[in-house]
Amino acid sequence: MNSAQITIQIIVALVAVACAIPGTFLVLRKMSLISDAISHSILLGIVIGFFIVGDTSSPLLIVLAAFAGIVTVFLVEFIQKTGLVKEDTAIGLVFPALFSIGVILIAKNANDVHLDIDSVMVGDLSLAPFDPLLINCTEGIADSCINLGPKAIWVIGTILVITLVLLFAFFKELKVSTFDAGLAAALGFSPVIMHYGLMTVSSITIVGAFDAVGPILVVALMIAPAATAYLFTKDLKKMLVLACFFGVFSAISGYWLAHLLDASISGSMTTVLAILFLLVYEPIITSIVIGLATTTSVIFYQYYQQLLTETGFAQFALSEKISRVFAEFVLLDYVTIMLVGGVCAVLLIYILPKRGVIYGYYKVRQQKTEIMLLVFLLHIRNHTEESERHVKHLNEHINWQRLRSDSVVELALKNNMITVDNDIISLTEKGEEFTEKAIDYIITNKDTEIEEMKDDFFLFRG
Amino acid sequence: MKQKYAITVDDLTVAYNYKPVLWDIDLAIPESVLMCIVGPNGAGKSTLIKAILGIIKPIAGTVSIFGKSYKQQRSLVAYVPQKGSVDWDFPTTALDVVMMGTYGSLGWIKRPGQKEKKASLEALEKVGMLPFKNRQISQLSGGQQQRIFLARALVQNASIYFMDEPFQGVDATTEKAIINILKELRKAGKTVVVVHHDLQTVPEYFDWVTFLNVKKIATGPVKDIFNDDNLTKTYGINYKVSVQE
Ligand SMILES: Nc1ncnc2c1ncn2[C@@H]1O[C@H](COP(=O)(O)OP(=O)(O)OP(=O)(O)O)[C@@H](O)[C@H]1O
Ligand SMILES: [Mg+2]
Repeated sequence: MNSAQITIQIIVALVAVACAIPGTFLVLRKMSLISDAISHSILLGIVIGFFIVGDTSSPLLIVLAAFAGIVTVFLVEFIQKTGLVKEDTAIGLVFPALFSIGVILIAKNANDVHLDIDSVMVGDLSLAPFDPLLINCTEGIADSCINLGPKAIWVIGTILVITLVLLFAFFKELKVSTFDAGLAAALGFSPVIMHYGLMTVSSITIVGAFDAVGPILVVALMIAPAATAYLFTKDLKKMLVLACFFGVFSAISGYWLAHLLDASISGSMTTVLAILFLLVYEPIITSIVIGLATTTSVIFYQYYQQLLTETGFAQFALSEKISRVFAEFVLLDYVTIMLVGGVCAVLLIYILPKRGVIYGYYKVRQQKTEIMLLVFLLHIRNHTEESERHVKHLNEHINWQRLRSDSVVELALKNNMITVDNDIISLTEKGEEFTEKAIDYIITNKDTEIEEMKDDFFLFRG
Repeated sequence: MKQKYAITVDDLTVAYNYKPVLWDIDLAIPESVLMCIVGPNGAGKSTLIKAILGIIKPIAGTVSIFGKSYKQQRSLVAYVPQKGSVDWDFPTTALDVVMMGTYGSLGWIKRPGQKEKKASLEALEKVGMLPFKNRQISQLSGGQQQRIFLARALVQNASIYFMDEPFQGVDATTEKAIINILKELRKAGKTVVVVHHDLQTVPEYFDWVTFLNVKKIATGPVKDIFNDDNLTKTYGINYKVSVQE
């Protein structure tokens, strides 16, 4: 890998993560379509910004573009609130209007400058590494600037940091207002503020990413990884992590696919995203379809090649190309492979914590602590004399190490099974009941029942 | 004006898209009653609750909770929305949903900690859902989801509870369990307002009732006003329930 390739991969990885986070909430709010709308109507903001400052690299363009995104959301809601049309219709009314105003403005006024729709709509990743952020330039002196590296990394990096900070700060507010807007409002977390906050972040992310990867890939990176992750997990935090992972994975493998097939980067990434989603959604059918499609096209292509050879027009043999593709895939770069492998391993442990060695060990420890708890409760139950029930002397009486008795007392307290009064421990009603039942089970040799009973009693496990 | 009211509603009018669905509602709900709101589908029962809680802005009228605005008294009020109003496929667990009840007292940004977790687990225990605490919410039955919502309200530890159809789709056992918890709340001096559809059980479960159908038909003690006359006025058809004394 050369440094430009590395730069591009860093950019797409940053874009993928920055998109996946707001994308997850858009998917959960069933608002995927709005990202499409925003990604188009920001064109109007860019054009207006360009007319004001006459320069395509001014930060004002980003601000105005993001603002155009918010205006889109606002207009959609306004139309929807009239109750005459549904949300999707409102979206369909608003963004083509804003987008076409942008297109008309370009066509009428900016024909002579570099602001053609192609460059605005497709984005060019392969150029991103060669567009550095320069500061401290002295007028008139060439090469006087300090080169801070590719601009896209700075733009996306900043957006990502802001997104992450907001996500950590307002995670619970986002969660409750997404799940139950009514409750959020009743609790005083205005769903309107959360909604527009999310929309602002989405708009800014789309605008920032747009320059590098174009609007279609932005929308794909926002929605597809989150939708895939949604099929995978039923936990919001894991869904966020997985969405980021799928986004980065598709972006980087899409990049290499494009590289090997000599195809469009954005197109390849979007294809990988789609295939990934389908694979998760309908693994068997998708594999069959992809397999069939590949085989057919290879057979067809080889037949075609043969025809060409026979007629003397062979340019290159397909089999050679395919073998090169595979060779490059395998030899990709062992650092990348190790990285991907590492991430996969971590994710597997994270997603599947209920299986495997680590969980087994954890389970055994848990049971051990809980048996200690039972022993302790029995002791308290069997002794009325205070000296036997004194917190400080517990370890002497049950013959435990200090550390263990402390943690057991703590566990019992947490589960409301005991109360401590003047350092003297007594069982609560719940503690009595639990102990009694446990003894019953032990006496009648039904130890396994205790495990099930624990679910009914334990607020916290050992 | 001697009596202390938990909730007073004056001249409340609420409209969706400029079409009023609640007209000029006046209510005064005394403290420590277990009240039901009855009325046909679309009568505006849910809307009334949402307007009291400031979820919907009324176009006219005022609401006060213990004499002050809802905004000032937010921490005194717990809310159980109609079950169908949320997406039960949302990726989260039963415990997590109950924890949401603690968010109000936490305020912005602060995260729930051990204390909130403990309170939530206790609430789950109270509604008999402790074994399901880590269950993904889409894998709960309708009645179990309802219990989760109830636990979430309990954890808010409020003075006034609003519940929109807590008995919707629950079996007889769950219904009994829920009503017992509500009666306990009232005994502890709390005010409980419940949207209820099963008219047969009104006299057995509640001591206060409000008849609603866009307008308020009547409000008062069940033993005084729960009669065929008011039912007919509310439901439009000639209603007959046998009210056992
Ligand atoms: N978001 C909304 N937009 C427009 N109209 C609405 C909206 N929500 C409710 N309505 C209308 O307001 C009226 C009252 O609705 P509400 O949900 O308060 O009824 P309800 O008494 O709770 O009925 P149910 O017994 O079916 O729950 C209905 O006619 C309903 O169609
Ligand atoms: Mg309702």
